[in-house]
Amino acid sequence: MIKSAEDLNKLAEKFAQKRAKQERLIIVSGGTCGEARGSKSVVSAFRKELEDRKLNDKVHLRPTGCLGFCEREPIVIIEPEKIFYTSVSHKDVPKIINETIEKHKIVEELLYTDPITNKKCMTHDDIPFYEKQQPFIFGNNVNLTPTSIDDYIAIGGYTALAKALSMDRDAIIDEVLKSGLRGRGGGGFPTGIKWKSARQAEGDIKYVICNADEGDPGAYMDRALLEGNPHSILEGMIIGAYAIGANEGYIYVRQEYPLACENFGIAMEKARKYGLLGKNILGSGFDFDIKINRGGGAFVAGESSALMRSIEGKAAVPRPKHVHATQKGLWDRPTVLNNVETWANVPLIINNGSKWYASIGTERSKGTKIFSLVGKVNNTGLVEVPMGITLREIVYDIGGGIRNGKKFKGVQTGGPSGGVLPESLLDLQVDFDSLSDAGSMMGSGGMIVFDEDNCMVDIAKYFISFLVDESCGQCTPCREGLVQMREILNDICEGRGKMEHLDMLEELAWGISQTSLCQLGKAAPNPMLSTLKYFRDEYIAHIEEKRCPAGVCKALVTYTIDAEKCTGCTLCAKKCPVGAITGKAKEAHVIDTEKCVKCGMCYDVCNFDAVKRI
Amino acid sequence: MAKLIIDGIEVEPDPNKTVLEVANELGIEIPTLCHHKALSPSGTCRLCVVETIWKGRSTLKTACTYPAWEGEIRTNSPVVKRARKFILKLMLAAAPEAEDIRELAAKYDVFDTEYKSRESNWNKKCIMCGLCVRTCDEIMNISAIGFVGRGEHRRIATPMKEYSDICSTCGACQFVCPTNAIKVSDWTDRPIHPIPSEFDQGLVDRPAIYIPFPQAVPNTPVLDDTSCMHFKNDACGVCSAVCPTDAIDYKQVDKIEELDVGAIIVSTGFELYPLKKIPEYGGGEIPDVIDALTMERLLAPAGPTNGIVKRPSDGKIPKSIAFVHCVRSRDPEHGVPYCSRICCMYLIKQAMLYKHAVEDGRAYDFYIDLRTNGKGYEEFYQRAQEEEWVTFIRGKPARIIQNGDKVQIWSTDTLSGRQVKLDVDMVVLAPAMIPSESGLKLLKTLRLATDEYGWIKEQHLKLRPLESMTAGIFISGVAQYPKDITDTVAQASGAAAKVLDMFSQPELVRSPTIAHVDQEICAGCGYCEKACAYEAIAVDPVKHIAVVNEALCEGCGACAAACPSGAVQHSNFFKNQILTMVLEATRKYS
Repeated sequence: MIKSAEDLNKLAEKFAQKRAKQERLIIVSGGTCGEARGSKSVVSAFRKELEDRKLNDKVHLRPTGCLGFCEREPIVIIEPEKIFYTSVSHKDVPKIINETIEKHKIVEELLYTDPITNKKCMTHDDIPFYEKQQPFIFGNNVNLTPTSIDDYIAIGGYTALAKALSMDRDAIIDEVLKSGLRGRGGGGFPTGIKWKSARQAEGDIKYVICNADEGDPGAYMDRALLEGNPHSILEGMIIGAYAIGANEGYIYVRQEYPLACENFGIAMEKARKYGLLGKNILGSGFDFDIKINRGGGAFVAGESSALMRSIEGKAAVPRPKHVHATQKGLWDRPTVLNNVETWANVPLIINNGSKWYASIGTERSKGTKIFSLVGKVNNTGLVEVPMGITLREIVYDIGGGIRNGKKFKGVQTGGPSGGVLPESLLDLQVDFDSLSDAGSMMGSGGMIVFDEDNCMVDIAKYFISFLVDESCGQCTPCREGLVQMREILNDICEGRGKMEHLDMLEELAWGISQTSLCQLGKAAPNPMLSTLKYFRDEYIAHIEEKRCPAGVCKALVTYTIDAEKCTGCTLCAKKCPVGAITGKAKEAHVIDTEKCVKCGMCYDVCNFDAVKRI
Repeated sequence: MAKLIIDGIEVEPDPNKTVLEVANELGIEIPTLCHHKALSPSGTCRLCVVETIWKGRSTLKTACTYPAWEGEIRTNSPVVKRARKFILKLMLAAAPEAEDIRELAAKYDVFDTEYKSRESNWNKKCIMCGLCVRTCDEIMNISAIGFVGRGEHRRIATPMKEYSDICSTCGACQFVCPTNAIKVSDWTDRPIHPIPSEFDQGLVDRPAIYIPFPQAVPNTPVLDDTSCMHFKNDACGVCSAVCPTDAIDYKQVDKIEELDVGAIIVSTGFELYPLKKIPEYGGGEIPDVIDALTMERLLAPAGPTNGIVKRPSDGKIPKSIAFVHCVRSRDPEHGVPYCSRICCMYLIKQAMLYKHAVEDGRAYDFYIDLRTNGKGYEEFYQRAQEEEWVTFIRGKPARIIQNGDKVQIWSTDTLSGRQVKLDVDMVVLAPAMIPSESGLKLLKTLRLATDEYGWIKEQHLKLRPLESMTAGIFISGVAQYPKDITDTVAQASGAAAKVLDMFSQPELVRSPTIAHVDQEICAGCGYCEKACAYEAIAVDPVKHIAVVNEALCEGCGACAAACPSGAVQHSNFFKNQILTMVLEATRKYS
């Protein structure tokens, strides 16, 4: 039990000294994505190997959460040299021990090679992916084992809590207000104002909630944070609860995040044991505890009022929010609901001060933001960048440009409610307001990059279909309007489009955004609207020329074989799943368009560029 | 001073009310679908959107949920109209078979939708307003149904889509549905007990709170506490929630009022001989054999079918109807020997009304003989024959049977002597008039003498037809014997005049021969009280002797005969007076 701030400092010092002794250290990245690529077997291989060679006392092992470079998981870092091995398999473990640990030699083939410069990168700092990042939130993942509270305390964890508990509640809120922190869940509402309003709201019972119902396709920064550094979120929540005067909190985690739940549960348990959670936190007399609430996995449950209904045991459907949750939220009590990343920012602000925090980012968007950079870039992964960085820097400098030398077409930000931005906007600053002005949004930080092979009408159809499935269905415009939008997009993709469909789409977008009950509905037309705005020519090509420029929409595409180029290798005929390709060996082949299902297999396998897609 | 401006009208803001409530108070109409006064607002149909202007920013908000804060509201601006049209078009696509939505849309100049009909909707009429779900949950406290699924697959269902164990079959969900999209039988396989409307002869159902019939006196609704859900499980209360004057009082109970009156006019009316007791005519078995009262409702312009004649079995307009006279009237073997007197005329009237309603319809009247003895009655009959082409067949049908979707009548035509077998779409019977059961109960309470059929006995059929056998009780209408409206009105006026005549006298003049109690002898045994048919003698609870109400005593002598001690005798007819008379009369023989 830690009873005071001094106790905490002493303990931190003790743990730090213990860590300092662990000079030789092997860090293995984990998390859900790492585990999927075999990090668990790498960890156990290291453990076994170290044991067999009786190196246990000299060499320490630290399994961590996600380190962001998903493309190259699992990652192994050897301290103190900071040697950075990527895509390590358990088979590589004996080699690493033999060479690097025992002989201090580098295993060349495990180093990362920059695809642009073809240079081998020895350490973390040499890799361009990390170069432009400012990982204040996410950077600590490498420094700790998620299940160890000692690691977190050793690196200065919970000092912000200790500091906050010594501060006046209004002063904490003032600090958050001045820092300019805005909600990271998508809305971008100033966190300080939210807290202030809840603090001033009448009522003896108040709640804080952490929204970890991350549901955007291709976005997983909240999961990585919960898995990799759960204490930072916990600490933020305790500070927030103290500031507004709440004694109960909830974290709403989606069912599909078992590891996040497990790690957060362990973190809570250990924090309780240390007196950092529960009754009389750090001897201050402040009581606060948290319950984990596991969501059923509905996208709409991430909407704040729906989330609160879900915690109340009702179906997760949003309610009209004329009265803010800070006045009447969970069980009609004043409630502060913040996203995982927002909570994780709080200790940083308290420890370093609002001035420091406000110095990062742009005028109206402060701090850093974690994005999950996915799609057609070379380096996919989680990236934490200061607000105000340009899209170009993210896509090209961090993401390493487009794969296979293809041409960039667009980048989708903000998840299904966001929009697609074209090449002309690559120099746009990434912050809340610029993105909204451009017809997209910050959202929770999804960033999907498209290249010339992506059809923008198809992309719009994908996101609208996703929203059709995920709309709660209670209000007419969202339930019915999105279905109609999907039907029209389907018609366009399948060659039945008419020019008046574009007017209908715009009217639908107007109606849905104006009359829907919740933000999910109001923002739902964005993917369609932004693609229609920036890629109208693609829509027109689909409608007027019945042609899909990217060759994605099957109904508008035909495959033929260029007889001049075809060498008669028979590969395509062998691969064709429906036997639509005929031809003798060493003679030009022919595709039977009647039989062809347009799967594109022949196009992909042809080594002579003989299959044409029109 | 903060102001709320709705369509230019300034009012006091009131955050405890919604914009919809305030607008309605101002008489501004805002269309709603998912709103119900007795339910919590859900704001999901979005039809009630209004334009709010706050700090120069215009946004659309649902009037049913938006608090009446200060600011400006426009309920009918171009953007509101555009939004409502948009919503209605989506609804037309989602629920193409919802007639009510089509009608509502037409009010907003939306006659068609450019959107595709939504095939995935579970129900072609449901617009997902959720009124049924909220009613079952909030009003009935049952929650037998709820929303299932998300997005386009959202639907109304019971858990696991199985028949509900907890559905109370109250029917509130079906009643509240604005588009007739759901039925109680969708949720339960238990029998549903509708409440047939008594006034409409069971042709339609009625709610548990209802006005018994148009022009009822008093013209106020009554609560049927045997059917009302509020009395079953303390639920519902919708009527109370929607009543603008808070007139509903669930604690009201039947009251017995005791009135001291000088006279009573009995007007207990009649019933028709029950159809079920007429098996040879398929009474109660063949749905398209109905009685004349039911036909009366079918013909009424304000009736359940709005005056369109539809037969009960399938709702089709019958192209031929047979009207059968003298069913159990003038039939001493099976029914009553008397003539019901009114059937001839009303069946002719109904035949003519039917011919007016269904121009190509054919009407047949089966009669024994037609009794048109009233002013203008014979002419009316002639008109039916000659101008309206009603076919009159003299003969009493022997049987009526179902023949496919027709009804077949077996009869004879006694004028031609031929057998008749006639297929018609519907048969209207004129059953005999009999005293009503509840009327008979009242007569018993009043101790009124009746004849063998239950009609009230008058003092003298020719000389005193308005007075019952009990002094002060008068008769009007069919309670005495069958008569038509003309005769009833005449008799009622006569009875009223009789009462007024009685009341206008300074004193009541009675026959001097009435009961008298010798107070010295009476032991208060009460035998006389039991014997009196007129409630004219009773034992005084204080003095404990019998006391005679001289205004009621008819001088019948029953009490005197019953008295064991000889205390009750008749004034001016005492024993010794009789004996003296006997002595005087027999003196010369002695």
